[in-house]
Amino acid sequence: MFKRMCLMFVVLLLAVGCAFAQGDTLTVVMAADSKSLDPHAAPDLSSTSVMTQMMESLVTIDSGGNIVPLLAESFEKLDDLRYKFVLRKGVRFHNGEELTAEDVKYTFTRAVRTGKVIDYVVRNIDIEHIEILDDYTIIVPSLTPDSSFLACLSHYCAGVVLNQKAVDAAGERVGMQPVGTGPYKFVSWQKGNRVVLERFEDYWGDKAKTPNLVFRTITEGTNRCIELETGGADIVQSLLPVDVNRVVDNPKLTLLRLPAPVVMYLGMNVSNEPLSDIRVRRAITLVVDNRPIVKIAFRGVGLPARGPVPPTIKYYDPTLPEILPDVEKAKALMAEAGYKEGLKMELWCRDEKTYIDTATIIQNQLKQIGIDLSIQVMEWGAFLEKLKQREQQLYLQAWNSVIADPDYSLFGVFHSSQKLTGLNRGVYGNPEVDKLLEEGKRVSDGPEREAVYHRLQHMIADDVAWGFLHVNELLIGMSENVRGFLFDPSGNHKYYQVYFDQAK
Amino acid sequence: MAEARMSGEGGKQYKQSGLWARFRKNRMAFCGAIMIMGLVVVAIFAPLIAPFPYDQQDFMAAQEAPSAAHWFGTDEFGRDIFSRIVYASRISLEVGFIAVSIGMVVGGALGSVAGYYGGFLDNFVMRTMDILLAVPSTILAIAIAATLGPGLFNLMMAVGISTIPRYARIVRASVLSLRHLEFIEAAQAVGSSDFRIIVKHILPNCMAPVIVQATLGVASAILNTAGLSFIGLGIQPPTPEWGAMLSGARTYIRDYPYMTIFPGLAIMLTVLALNFLGDGLRDALDPKLKR
Amino acid sequence: MWRYVLRRLCYLLPIFIGISFFVFFMLHMTPGDPARLMLGDAATETSVQELRQEMGLNDPFLMQYGRYIKNAVRGDIGKSYITKSPVAHEVLQAFPATLRLALFAISIAILIGVPLGILSAIHQYSLLDNVAMGFALIGISMPVFWLGLLLILLFCVWLGWFPASGFDTFRQMVLPAVTLSTPSLAIISRISRSSMLEVVRQDYICMARAKGQVEWRVIWNHALGNALIPIVTIVGLQFGGLLEGAVVTEAVFAVPGIGSLLVEAIKTRDYPMVLGGVLFIGVVFSLVNLVVDILYAYIDPRIKARYQNG
Repeated sequence: MFKRMCLMFVVLLLAVGCAFAQGDTLTVVMAADSKSLDPHAAPDLSSTSVMTQMMESLVTIDSGGNIVPLLAESFEKLDDLRYKFVLRKGVRFHNGEELTAEDVKYTFTRAVRTGKVIDYVVRNIDIEHIEILDDYTIIVPSLTPDSSFLACLSHYCAGVVLNQKAVDAAGERVGMQPVGTGPYKFVSWQKGNRVVLERFEDYWGDKAKTPNLVFRTITEGTNRCIELETGGADIVQSLLPVDVNRVVDNPKLTLLRLPAPVVMYLGMNVSNEPLSDIRVRRAITLVVDNRPIVKIAFRGVGLPARGPVPPTIKYYDPTLPEILPDVEKAKALMAEAGYKEGLKMELWCRDEKTYIDTATIIQNQLKQIGIDLSIQVMEWGAFLEKLKQREQQLYLQAWNSVIADPDYSLFGVFHSSQKLTGLNRGVYGNPEVDKLLEEGKRVSDGPEREAVYHRLQHMIADDVAWGFLHVNELLIGMSENVRGFLFDPSGNHKYYQVYFDQAK
Repeated sequence: MAEARMSGEGGKQYKQSGLWARFRKNRMAFCGAIMIMGLVVVAIFAPLIAPFPYDQQDFMAAQEAPSAAHWFGTDEFGRDIFSRIVYASRISLEVGFIAVSIGMVVGGALGSVAGYYGGFLDNFVMRTMDILLAVPSTILAIAIAATLGPGLFNLMMAVGISTIPRYARIVRASVLSLRHLEFIEAAQAVGSSDFRIIVKHILPNCMAPVIVQATLGVASAILNTAGLSFIGLGIQPPTPEWGAMLSGARTYIRDYPYMTIFPGLAIMLTVLALNFLGDGLRDALDPKLKR
Repeated sequence: MWRYVLRRLCYLLPIFIGISFFVFFMLHMTPGDPARLMLGDAATETSVQELRQEMGLNDPFLMQYGRYIKNAVRGDIGKSYITKSPVAHEVLQAFPATLRLALFAISIAILIGVPLGILSAIHQYSLLDNVAMGFALIGISMPVFWLGLLLILLFCVWLGWFPASGFDTFRQMVLPAVTLSTPSLAIISRISRSSMLEVVRQDYICMARAKGQVEWRVIWNHALGNALIPIVTIVGLQFGGLLEGAVVTEAVFAVPGIGSLLVEAIKTRDYPMVLGGVLFIGVVFSLVNLVVDILYAYIDPRIKARYQNG
């Protein structure tokens, strides 16, 4: 009791200490510092969640998963390849320039030419044939028919519109002097510590409610929560699962738990013995129970995964069956496949705690069917490099559908054209799946496309291409008096409408 | 290390009583030696001492506080922390001793060759050592470990290589001071080979500072290993290692502080014992600093 | 004297070339393709290959190293692969935090360690001596990061006296500095003690006492000056050591310094940044050692005389 009183006293003191900032400044804590504030150079969450406050794209995805206009007043699909956008008039960049079709053309050209890191998003834009009809009307074509094209253009960093003058003026320092059209504009950035933004007074839409926005970096998870409790932060973007109950139990704090489009899976390289045998793969999935993984490695945060498409992405099939552990059946399958006396296998994973924990649990579970698993933990770069050789047996990986479309969730990881050099690291291939994946790209949104993707999910599950482990959840902690938070499934939440409830 | 450097010219103002007698009189050193021997016994007989296998998971008993069944509690997988600490002593001692051996053997060889032959060879070797010394050893170890990738062997290499220049310097200095003494000249006169002279006559006479440095070196190797594990350049699970256990426990520091406290204590006591021993040895071998 | 300093400065040049070659070579051997890391998981193999070409990663090793040195001579030590900004700029931006941390820590270590060691020596075998030296031994034996975690547990979580992260205000700096200073404090107090003990045994101290001088005066006027020589050396060495201790301390307390920069750069295979960071630490380390040597000469007349001749 005494301890708690001491703590409260200190919290009070701190609150007084920070009082000058309350109401005027919103402090958001991130887990990692931004890498660059050039949208064509850094698509990672710690960079984009800052850029999102300052930059906008032509179209965006609303909370229902629909594509809606943003900088474009309206848009129209002219034919299989061409999309016409009519721009909003009177939109100003932070440097005072007005947004025109030239800016759009410049940005997409720059994105395709220099943005190697976002190549996977913008590669289908046909920059040679962009047509400017007038200052506010532009036609952006794609190279091949692609139903996820608009979703790509809504991408939180590949799709934003820049101003050529501003980019040229910044020169080499473009990553440190961002200019966009968003409701906040850039003030300063101290690497590894904080990025400071302020309200952009000439914003075309509703102006930001809080004048100052500060992003702080705190890499140590435990410290992020302490900072929230002691009032040094108003919003924490990524809380640790261990802190969930602490935040829930604290009357001064609120916790938001939101599903994220990230599926963690047990990859299986089907090009080699013994995993080329579907019975072995099925036996493995029958003993790898993902419930303890969710419970132990993720401390109960997130859900056991059932299929390759995250539940927040459209055309997710909720009827996929749950795989329940069945050791006897797994043993029988192993015996049938000729591995009655067991075998040795390798599991590769990256050097992050949740992955290592998951690997440790799987190692223990596979003992039940006589698989002696050795875990190889690798640093991220080495891991990607080794996967490229396709010598892996089992590997742990997560796939983040950063483009909110099932095509992005499935094509790269399951199409057989991606076997040798692409993301299809399990070297999986099924001609029928290939055909459906191609069809899904072509068909426009609607019941027909939905049917294609539902079938795909079942077929991939039946082939046991992956062991589905975990669907992630975003944990956001905030002070109880924070209002107007806009959630974004990609993790790029918008803070324009956030304000403090002064009555509290 | 720096203290050893100060005691370079060992004055002989004290009567040379037996080395063992002096060592035994130093209670702290004796205490340290006993602790280290105890630790070695624990490491050898780990399977008999540990009540549970180090990798036995029990999700029903995850993160239980210390109790009669689990003396140091259990970790997030329900593994017994006491058993893991017992097994981890093997890794730490192994890394400590092997890393120091690498540093001592390679550094000693380089240092004695440089000191004995002098001239260009000396210059070349010692300038190379200067380059390595210009980078703080932890940073050097981090860079090497990052290059080699995680893993027990690589960890030992990284920690070992980073200590080479120290031994090279100490041995070279001793060799230089011995090289022109009469008994070496005598050996040369009767036609002994250089190798024989170095191994038979010079090295035994410059062991004292090396032994002191090596004892303290094992201590700093264990600390360095734990540090490298802590920043994620450690060894493969489920092998237990103190630094890795600490690093894994930091997430739970608020709710389950015992997970952090016990592995840390294990490191501290081991290093403390080695420091006792190293200090004692120095006092015994180099009477000038004896209080 | 100045000739000596100049000569020492010239020695630094081959050392820097050596360090850069060594680190460059090691990074070259490292598994993990920097181009792949920059582009991430989702990029196609063709764009990775294009980028490798663009970055000159397909050139032979010596050619890459030669290019690096050529630019370094012009003052350009490369651009970060990840953030694309100049390495020199990033390193210099991170350094003040590390320097502040190290200076704060060394001040604590000196201000507490030296008096503690001297008091222990004067009152040899007293309770104070035993307790102080016991703590010193524990201080040396404790892993820095563990100490950091324990301090966070005690002062942030249980008592709530200090914040656990950030590095802007004095309050935020206290815990990291205390953590970092502990091993140095322990070593400095031990050295101060043994150095003082050695001095007070000398004949001229007996002489001073025999003249009937007050004890504190004996210590202050006669003993301290000579006891200071090894203390200065050790302080210099410790300051270098603090730079490396800072790597781990910064990781525990999320201090935006050069250690955090280096660890992050190693994780992301940001070659130019790792090189720049290690080089920079090497430079600072060497310069600190140089300053210590000069200071040493200044305090010890015997050495000063030697330099003036040479």
